[in-house]
Amino acid sequence: MGCCYSSEDKPTEEEEEHLIPPSNIVCKPNGTDWPTPSVPSARTDEQALLTSILTKTAQNIIDVSAADQHMMEPHEYMDRARQYSTKLAVLGSNLPPKKALTLPSLTTQPHQVLASDLVPYSDVQQVSKIAAYAYSAISQIKVDAKEELVVQFAIP
Amino acid sequence: MTTAALTAGLERVPDQLGYLVISEDGVLASAGELENDEQTAGVMMQMVRTASRFVLSGSADVPFKRMSVILDDFVYTVTVSAQKVFVVKRQQNQREPINV
Repeated sequence: MGCCYSSEDKPTEEEEEHLIPPSNIVCKPNGTDWPTPSVPSARTDEQALLTSILTKTAQNIIDVSAADQHMMEPHEYMDRARQYSTKLAVLGSNLPPKKALTLPSLTTQPHQVLASDLVPYSDVQQVSKIAAYAYSAISQIKVDAKEELVVQFAIP
Repeated sequence: MTTAALTAGLERVPDQLGYLVISEDGVLASAGELENDEQTAGVMMQMVRTASRFVLSGSADVPFKRMSVILDDFVYTVTVSAQKVFVVKRQQNQREPINV
């Protein structure tokens, strides 16, 4: 298990750059040692890359615990609360009033509709059967685990 | 339409065991086995509201004219007209068809 430089995918981003310049790698058939870089400046490159990764992470991640906790004066707090509530009041009045849920009219002849024939028993049976099939089908939906969810990288 | 006019037609429904006329404010009229049955009225109102929110694809109209709650011995038939919900409890005569 050696580590050979693959020419299939050439990463363009900084993070995916090889820490050790690929041109210096020698493939060993029983690769138990990491190939040692022959160029001493590789160390500083590594340093530079690590620093860049660090700065990128620092920019992207917000550290809540390290943030300054400035104490607010009580009057400042009251002022802000008042500010926010007035803003809310202004915005709230602009919202359209909530539409009342009105029942739609289903028919203009309620007596006729209610007096007409009941649903035939055969129809009820058929619908019950279809519902039973659907229920049975849904209850058979399950996860088919094919592989391990967590795998270990094979690091020699 | 006066309450009497509303209920007169319901009285004449065949096999009827009772009825309810419900509005947004409450029960307008009740009779028979559903007399003063506020609980059934509440349940029917909720069911009709839920059912009327179904929208079948390709149709803007309400997808049904009458809702039937089918139980062993009787059926509640429910419909809505002019902001009022009409519920009629009818005898369920249909049984398991006998195969001769």
